[in-house]
This record gives sequence, structure tokens and C-alpha cells, in this order.
Amino acid sequence: MSEKVKKERKFKSYETQKKIWAFIFLAPWLLGFVGLFMIPMLTSFRYSFYHLLSTVDEGLVLTWVGFDNYYNALQVEAIGNTFFKAELLATLSEVAINILVIIIFSLFIAVILNAEFKGRAIVRAIFFIPVILNSTAVVFALSSGEAMSGILSGDAGLGKVFDLENYLLRAGLTGNMVGFINYLISRIYSILALAGVPILLFLASIQSIPRHLYEAAEIEGSTQYEMFWLITLPNVKPHLLTVAIFILIDTFISSPLSRYIDGLRRTQWGLRAAMSWLYVVVVALILIILLAINKIFKWGESHYD
Amino acid sequence: MTKTNLRNKIKVYFNELKDNFNEPGKKMKRKRIIKKLVISVFRFVLLFGLSFVILFPTIQQILMALRAPEDVNNPAVIWIPEIWSFKNIKIASVVLDYPKALLCTTKLSFISMVLQIASTALAGYAFSRLKFKGSNILFIGVLLTIIIPPHALSLAQYLYFIDLKLVGKESSIYLMSGLGMGIRSGIFIYIFRSFFQGLPKELEESAQIDGAGVFRTFWSVMLPNARGALVTVGLFAFVWQWNDTYFISLFEVSHGDFPLLTARLMNAAEGMYNALFITGGINLIGKDIWSNPLFLALITNVSALLMMLPLLIMYLFVQKQFVESIERTGIVG
Repeated sequence: MSEKVKKERKFKSYETQKKIWAFIFLAPWLLGFVGLFMIPMLTSFRYSFYHLLSTVDEGLVLTWVGFDNYYNALQVEAIGNTFFKAELLATLSEVAINILVIIIFSLFIAVILNAEFKGRAIVRAIFFIPVILNSTAVVFALSSGEAMSGILSGDAGLGKVFDLENYLLRAGLTGNMVGFINYLISRIYSILALAGVPILLFLASIQSIPRHLYEAAEIEGSTQYEMFWLITLPNVKPHLLTVAIFILIDTFISSPLSRYIDGLRRTQWGLRAAMSWLYVVVVALILIILLAINKIFKWGESHYD
Repeated sequence: MTKTNLRNKIKVYFNELKDNFNEPGKKMKRKRIIKKLVISVFRFVLLFGLSFVILFPTIQQILMALRAPEDVNNPAVIWIPEIWSFKNIKIASVVLDYPKALLCTTKLSFISMVLQIASTALAGYAFSRLKFKGSNILFIGVLLTIIIPPHALSLAQYLYFIDLKLVGKESSIYLMSGLGMGIRSGIFIYIFRSFFQGLPKELEESAQIDGAGVFRTFWSVMLPNARGALVTVGLFAFVWQWNDTYFISLFEVSHGDFPLLTARLMNAAEGMYNALFITGGINLIGKDIWSNPLFLALITNVSALLMMLPLLIMYLFVQKQFVESIERTGIVG
């Protein structure tokens, strides 16, 4: 009897111990969340309604301007020769294309990389190289070297290896279609760079599918094609949302829009804050749409439940 | 006589072949073999093509870096340099302040990686295994940090860091990583959370029966089992810090005494001539060459290569563990 009480007490103390440790484990993150995230977030939200002026003797001077910053961001302000709203629309269409293309592409590649074949380890290693080399600084350095691309396109560029456009047109595809295919091919490197983490997620998800499902299907005589649609896809479905959200965030962070916002002069902090918040609103809207699609098609649930 | 004999033989053989061909069991087997062959050929072509697309620019860059500077627009040199030379690399390393910048970048990335792993692993563990009332609501906070872009916070963070006198110091990056607000820390917490969730409950229970406390369970039982997640997060944390330009420029971390590769590269790419002039790289080469805009572009290119090369070499070493870790990560739970 006393033994049982003792055990119970020990268990109880373990539970309280757990709570204390949970707090200790979370302490650094909580500190950062409140100090480096929540407070700056609220402050920057407040700043988006002010005109900020940095002065030598008085420090930061705030003047209330209401929604002027938002109005300016959408209607007036232009950097270089583009408007904020134009960049926003361009990024939106990029996001729509990216989510579709990258989900299909990375699922396809993940299925291929999951199969057994010679040299699989090497190919897997190669496919994550773009994730590692995907650096703003490198992209910036290479794009600013306009002259370099002049050298390349002259004789050794990929596009010159074979004239794909002409070939596709002769194959009877419409002009629009060829344009789209060409667009995808010209962006293949950036698609690969963004697809690295989704491939990783899909690969992990496919590997968590129990082997015996495939074995049973094989004994029943189903083809690889059927196995994909009836076993792989339903099991991967719960993770589509995670992948889609990752692509959404990644596309936005690496989009010209971010560079546009960063390109503002340091004095225009209020405008910058307003643009950032418009950006957040757009991302949140897309997220809500994704969640709604998720609810309607029940992606989040495995079909075995 | 022999002729008909031979003809009969051929006929018999041919019939045998025909029967063989039409036998259902063998037919199926043959069909399967052909299918397998077609699939593997298709797979080979696709994977080879994509691998080529991935490796092509880097190989081209390396070959271009090894050209003699005089050959920069020599139409006869397309792939293999006519005269092999390390001169471009030498000039680019002067522009980047390479040895010092490499050391500083490695130090910054490494320390920030360790801090990121520590803070995110602890938080991920607490969110998955040490649940308490309201921990799910707090987890929404993690999702918020993933969704809200750094631009929305930059000004307030900058002003705050000025008050703390952290602007212009590397410790600003360490503070962010140590408190779980570094580059994409939210995603790392998410990875650790789903990983720890996937570990069997029996592990924890048996450790508890053997008398281990919460921390001991975490440190000696759970963490060693989390190697897959640790490798994945570690690699990403290191690489993303290495490639980061946003926080580096926001907190003005890079300066003369503490040069960072990304910042130097951005600077150089903006005005290669100025960078050459200021660092004295221009003295290494004649005027007939540095006045060529193609040469300046080439040096920019080589500088970018110099920034990526250490990452590539590092990846070669951890690649095996990384690829294997995918199998066991269970990132998605």
C-alpha cells in the first residue's frame, strides 16, 4: 500500500518536474519571442501610421499621418521604374505558379529518388546542392555581371545546346504553351533551389509509409502507377499543406518584393513598415485560402483514418 | 537430304521459339523486364539531365576562374582554359579579404549554428514532450515567427539593438540565434517538435523508471536518438547563416575588423572597380586588363565562387550523413 502511494507521489513529482523543466526549456525562446518578436512587431505596426524623422538632438521624431503610408505604398511611391503594387502582383502570380509547379515537381523527384537504383546516394547529394548555393549575395553578384552572361550566351549557354522552342512549335504545341514551357525551363535553377526542402519533406514522408502496403499491392499485381495514386499519394497528402506553406514563405522571402522593400532609403521607415504590413496581409490571405482548400479537400487527413 | 534436314531443324527451332514467345508466363516476365528497362532508361535520362543542370554553372564557373586574365574574351577559349592560372583567384581573394573573411564567417556561422540548435531543440522538445496547459497556444507563436517576414520587424529591432549597443557587433547575431529568433528558427523548432513527437513513448517511460529526471531523459536518451534532426538542422542553420545578407546588413555586423564574405561580395559586386582600387587588387594586374569590363565581371564571378566553395567542400564531407539522416529524420512525423 505504502509502496503504491510512494510510486504515485514519485509519478506526481515527475509531472510537476516536467512542468518546471518545460518552463526552463522554453525560457530562451519565450524571452526571444516577447523581446525580439512581439515588441518589435507591435512597434513596427505603430510606426506604419507615423512619419519617422531621425534627428540629431531629439532622437526619433514621430508624426501621426494615419493611413498615408499605406496609401503612398499602394498608389504613389515608386523605386526605379516599378510600383509596389506591380511587384506585389508579380510576386502573387509567381507564388501561384511556384506552389503548383514545385509541389508536382518535388513529389515526382521524391518518388524517383525513393526507388532503389545504382548511384542513388550520389544523385540525392547532387539534388541538395542548389539549397546550399542558394544565396542572395551570389545571385546578386552573378546577375550584376551582365557582361559575363554575354560571354556565356554566345557559345556555351544551355539554351543554345538545342533549339527547344522551335522544336516544340513544330511538334504542334500552341504558342502560349511553348512560352510557358520555356519560362519554366529558364527558371529551372531557381525551381530546383526552392524544391530542395520540399523534396526533403516528401522523401521523409514517403519513407514513413509502411513497406507492407507496397508488398501487398505487388502481390495483388498492381502497377507502379496504381501504387503511386492509391498508396503514395494518400499517405503524402497530410504533408501537402506543410510543403505549400513552406513554398509560399520561401517564394515571398526570395521574391523581388522583398528586395523592393529593402531598397527603400533608410529614412523612409514609416513607408517601409506599411509595405511590410501589406506584405504580411497578403501572405496571411494566401494562407487562409490554402487552409480553406485544405479543409474542403480534407488534405490534412490520411485516408486510412 | 542434308538440306531438308537443316530446314526441318530450323523449322523446329523456329516453332519452339514461337511457342516460347507466346507462353503466358514468359510473356509476362518479358513484359516486366521491358517495363523495368524503359523506366530505368527514363529515370537515368531525367536524373542525369537535372544533375547536369545543377552542376553545369558551378563547373563552368570553376573553369572560368582558372583562365588566365588575358584570355577573358578570347573567343578560342570556351571550356578548357588555354593557359591555366590562379591569378583571378588571387585578385578575387584580395578583393574579398579572403583568409580573414573566411575565418570570421566560419566563426559566426558555427557559433550561431550551435546556439540555434540549442535553443530550437530545447523549445521543440518542450512543445512535443513536456506539454502543459497553453503550450499549443504558445506554439501558434512559433508559427507566427515563421509567417511574419523579417522586414516587418527590422526597424524596431534595429532601434532596439542600438539601445542595447549591439549594432555593429557579432553578438547581435548570437543573441538572435540564442533566443530562438535567428534565421528561420521557427522552422527548426517545427522540425524538432515533429521529430521528438515521433519517438516512442516507451523510451521516456523506461528512462523515468530507471530514475532519470526530465533533463537527464532529454540529454542522454532523447537527444542521441535525434541525430537525424540534429544533422539536418545543423546543416541548414550553418548554410543559411553563411549565406545571410539580411541580418548582417541590418545590424551592420561586417566591418574592417570583422569582414564577412557575403557583405564583401555584395559590396564588390556593386562596384567592382572601386573594390579593386580600394583593396589594392588593381596593382596585381596591368591597365590593359583591368580596363576591360569583362575582366571585372570575371572577378565578380570568381569572388562568388570563392564564397560558395567552402560550403561545397563542407557539404562533400557531411553529405553522406545528411542524405542518410533524411531516412531517419521523420521530419514530417
